[in-house]
Amino acid sequence: MTEPVQLPEGFATLEPFVARWSLRTSAERDRARGDSTEEEREAFYAAAQPLLEAALSYLDGFPARQLGEKEQRLMDLVLSLAHVSLAVEVQKEMEEQHARQRNDMPITRSVTDPA
Amino acid sequence: MNIDVASYQPPADQTAWLGTDPIPAKAYYDPDYYELERQAIFMRTWLTIGHVCELLEPGSFIRRDLEFAKASILIVRGKDGVIRGFHNACTHRGTQLEGRGEGKANAFICPYHRWNFGLDGALRSAPDFERFYTTKENCALKPVSVDVCGGMIFVNLDPEPAQSLHEFLGEYIVERLETIPAAKATDFCEYTYEIDANWKLTYDNFQESYHLKFIHPRTGAASYTPENPFGYPENYGFHGVHRSQQFWPNYNPDVTTPVQQTVFPMLAGYATEKGLMPDPTNREYYAVFPGFFIFGSPTQHFSHVVYPISATRSRGVIRLYWVGDWETASDRFAREYCLAIAREVHVEDVNVIKAGQRGLNSGALEHIHFQALEGLCRHLYLVSNGIVEAYKAEQEAAGEAQ
Repeated sequence: MTEPVQLPEGFATLEPFVARWSLRTSAERDRARGDSTEEEREAFYAAAQPLLEAALSYLDGFPARQLGEKEQRLMDLVLSLAHVSLAVEVQKEMEEQHARQRNDMPITRSVTDPA
Repeated sequence: MNIDVASYQPPADQTAWLGTDPIPAKAYYDPDYYELERQAIFMRTWLTIGHVCELLEPGSFIRRDLEFAKASILIVRGKDGVIRGFHNACTHRGTQLEGRGEGKANAFICPYHRWNFGLDGALRSAPDFERFYTTKENCALKPVSVDVCGGMIFVNLDPEPAQSLHEFLGEYIVERLETIPAAKATDFCEYTYEIDANWKLTYDNFQESYHLKFIHPRTGAASYTPENPFGYPENYGFHGVHRSQQFWPNYNPDVTTPVQQTVFPMLAGYATEKGLMPDPTNREYYAVFPGFFIFGSPTQHFSHVVYPISATRSRGVIRLYWVGDWETASDRFAREYCLAIAREVHVEDVNVIKAGQRGLNSGALEHIHFQALEGLCRHLYLVSNGIVEAYKAEQEAAGEAQ
């Protein structure tokens, strides 16, 4: 049985990450980073970072506030990369310690959240 | 681009006029000293509390709770477009009128006995009011002084502020606040924290570079190099009770990551498109007394305000102001990244500030020390303490006159 296709054509390699990382708000994406394991973050980063520019330029072709379901999922997925890349590219082995500190500074408003 | 930056000299001489004395540690933990600061400074100084983009339409309001005053303040745009402030307290028996942090209202109606106040604070109606022994005119909401500069909303809890907001800010700060990108902002991201630390101790962390390489070895790596190993600024400015600094531009930041290489050109595109470049306030940091600072950069911007809660507890609010809504997926991603990376750095400061407070609380240290490149911290203490001393003299004179 094939799984239903969740993302636009060309982004099939990101399908396994939709359930974990395609999230609607900045606070949820930050929380997912904090709740994830190093393996999960690295796997997501390894798949998504090489497709970041392709995904954004594909999505830039649509009216940004009226995305179709698959495009919306891809957008929300890519937005999680903003958070996960900081863990993988910047914090590295310091990520676990950093994650504990992040709980002290909750995101209370984000312009990227759905209206 | 390789520019010779070996000639960089930290602006240590610009802080010489502040003196070199050690600073009494008490000012950072003692409840009696804090009580003086609370009365002398916070109960009668203009304080940043919001932005006009939160009050776009008549009837838009925000509620802000100021713990140091045990006050809840409503700030509302009236039908006439004027922004006014009121204590969030029904004049009947004190009940708080609004529980929401923000929203829209045609009137403020007390949940207890349905007293109905207009957006101008006037008591419009109250059930069976004829049985009261007062007039409606006497029952208007208690006003709070409100004014705006560069889009920033300030309040003053002094019923009759000694200075107007513009007098308090002074010409230089007014001109800069009106120039920075945040003055045109239409929306913002926000993150907040509460911390077991004195308001000055907390704020000081964000006005010196000395700690960057130790506390932000990863996130701050672009801010220091062998030529300027502590990432000290290029210049300081002192403007009455306020301060500024101009950050040193690292001309050779060799630390951008793959995702940053995607994001940074998008941000430059945003700044150009919104007419924010070239930005005369880029790399400029404006510290508005007592607890506010804002960064002028259109691409790496944020504001930060620290409110005291007690001698050893504070609340911080950090905002990233944006001009115009995001219009594309790329724009949206860039704004998400800016929020995440700004917070990434700030998160790292909280624990070390708390550790500073735990070290001070016993009173074992009589003094703390600021070096030449911590001159902004010294200036904050000197200004605050000057106001506290003047307040004490004022109280003593008032006592003798009685």
